[in-house]
Amino acid sequence: MSGVKLSQLVKRYGDLEVVKAIDLEVQPHEFVVLVGPSGCGKSTTLRMIAGLEEISGGEVTIGDRVVNRVAPKDRDVAMVFQNYALYPHLNVADNIAFGLRIRKTPKDQVQKMVAEVAEILGLTPYLDRRPADLSGGQRQRVAMGRAIVRHPLVFLFDEPLSNLDAKLRSQMRAEIKRLHKRLDVTSIYVTHDQVEAMTLADRIVVMNDGAIEQVGTPMELFLNPVNTFVAGFIGSPPMNQIRAEISGSSNAPVAKIGDQLLPLPASADVADRMGADVTVGIRPEHAEVHSLGTSPLNVELELVETLGSEALLHTKLADTPFIIKTETEEHFSTLDQVSAFSVNPHQIKVFDIDTGRVLGQAGA
Amino acid sequence: MMNWNLYSRGDKFFAIVVSVLVGMFTAATLYPFIYIAAVSFSSGFAAQAGKVVLTPIDSTLEAYKYILIQPEFWLSYRNTFIYTIGGTIMSLLFIIPGAYALSRPQLYGRRFLNLFVAFTMWFNAGLIPFYLNMRDLNLLDSMFGIIIGFAVNAFNIILLRNFFESIPESFEEAARMDGANDFQVLWKVFIPLSKPAIATITLFCIVARWNGFFWAMVLLSSEEKIPLQVFLRHTISNLSDDDEFAMTQLEAAYSAETVTAAIIVCSIIPVLLVYPWIQKYFEKGILLGGVKE
Ligand SMILES: Nc1ncnc2c1ncn2[C@@H]1O[C@H](COP(=O)(O)OP(=O)(O)OP(=O)(O)O)[C@@H](O)[C@H]1O
Ligand SMILES: [Mg+2]
Repeated sequence: MSGVKLSQLVKRYGDLEVVKAIDLEVQPHEFVVLVGPSGCGKSTTLRMIAGLEEISGGEVTIGDRVVNRVAPKDRDVAMVFQNYALYPHLNVADNIAFGLRIRKTPKDQVQKMVAEVAEILGLTPYLDRRPADLSGGQRQRVAMGRAIVRHPLVFLFDEPLSNLDAKLRSQMRAEIKRLHKRLDVTSIYVTHDQVEAMTLADRIVVMNDGAIEQVGTPMELFLNPVNTFVAGFIGSPPMNQIRAEISGSSNAPVAKIGDQLLPLPASADVADRMGADVTVGIRPEHAEVHSLGTSPLNVELELVETLGSEALLHTKLADTPFIIKTETEEHFSTLDQVSAFSVNPHQIKVFDIDTGRVLGQAGA
Repeated sequence: MMNWNLYSRGDKFFAIVVSVLVGMFTAATLYPFIYIAAVSFSSGFAAQAGKVVLTPIDSTLEAYKYILIQPEFWLSYRNTFIYTIGGTIMSLLFIIPGAYALSRPQLYGRRFLNLFVAFTMWFNAGLIPFYLNMRDLNLLDSMFGIIIGFAVNAFNIILLRNFFESIPESFEEAARMDGANDFQVLWKVFIPLSKPAIATITLFCIVARWNGFFWAMVLLSSEEKIPLQVFLRHTISNLSDDDEFAMTQLEAAYSAETVTAAIIVCSIIPVLLVYPWIQKYFEKGILLGGVKE
């Protein structure tokens, strides 16, 4: 098994730089998810690893081999495409066997390997069918079968679930996770869906505009986003961001939000900005509405969105939209009377208003 | 089937007009066939007198007898098969790889090469230079010359190239990831996916070859190499020039008209047999289910 290393990887289209000198090290067996908004260069990065896109600068290393000049077929990677790209003229078995046959695998072995993969993916009853006669989820599975049957060093996925409906997507998500546990192959997975990223990844790479914003485990990104972009991208709904002015004292700084005061965790960075504006970040799930702590903030409730065990309270805090996520159990009847919340100061993030970088955190 | 009552009045009117037009067009296309067939089975006298309209008059097989006993007829028939099969295979051998290459974005100088190919659709050297060219290549009066000389046709290349271009790129990419080289991508993915387009150009090639007449007449001088269409022409001119024949045909059961018609019928039959066989490759939506957009 081998890892994948990107060093100073660049992709240019003419003068347009769409991947900007990114560095990333994917460990053997690791499941890494590239996530970011549309057009940020995720697919381009993945395709450079696959060899489908020429590399404008930097290096891609698979295992201990620099593959910049290696043809896709010799990189020993397999890719699952967003549109599946199943061969419509071949049945499921032949689709899965295509790569094996091209590589001149002995016949009896091909049969065994296809049967094995079909078994893993639950495709055995459909081996004789053409792709046109399969459901979306089944097609998706065939596409994965085609990738795993070859036992490649690395799996690449480019938004493999984006064509499925929500229910099937979560089902396939679990299946991909199971598959990875079982096969333990280094995987790089592209998505713009942060839920997919959170649930699948060992580590998440958040990309924006051709550059990497942050790399970390899902919980690291969730709890300690390095900037407002990551904070606004990870979590559903994402972190609330409110403009505030730092006041109080260096030892006990507070954020002035409108005319309300919110105690902040003390830090040198924050103390430095006394009197200046910052962005305060509060996760929707960290806002407590049922047993208010010290110095709660008043909000104006606009809408209650009930999701079942949880509800989203759409409120306004100093005229800025603010979303609170709370449990419904026991409290359901009082949700529409919520008028304030409190938050543990240690769960509050403070970001520089201009650069968006987090303040008062190691490495920030 | 739609329920007729579900049509609005305007739709009904439209459906009727369309049906009538289609009917007229069908009749106009079909009638010459029926007429020729009827003439070929009529007596020479009736045909000459212009009595044949829809069905044979004074039915007879004399015209067929006249041509079927001629060895030249069978020879030219065989030659036409050789030109058609050989020429079509040769065309596909050039057109498919050519169209594939021209459809690939990575082809160096692709825009220019495409223009170059299209150029030959609008301009060509003309009769004399082409003839001289064939002469210099030692391909006059050569069956191989006929087969290779007309194998490449820009229109067919462009047609197939456009079809190849419409195949989503991810098919090629998936095949490449699976380890396929250029040739395997073409052979195992693009050709199977392009069956309808390839069937179309195959049919174009077959029909063009089968009916090929002019260049065969210009380039071939040996009687034993001519195709059926040239034989037909020879027969027509022979029969009308032949005084002896003209004298006898007053009583004869055949005439120049019926013999010509009989040859035409004989030459149509193979095309009629081939067409339905090719048509089954005109499957619609073969890409269906392979990719999801
Ligand atoms: N052939 C090309 N020429 C010029 N620009 C291109 C080309 N291909 C892609 N781009 C640009 O590169 C950028 C990155 O594209 P990419 O497909 O990697 O985005 P992505 O992150 O995968 O987005 P999505 O989530 O929409 O798939 C985009 O801004 C796109 O417009
Ligand atoms: Mg993409």
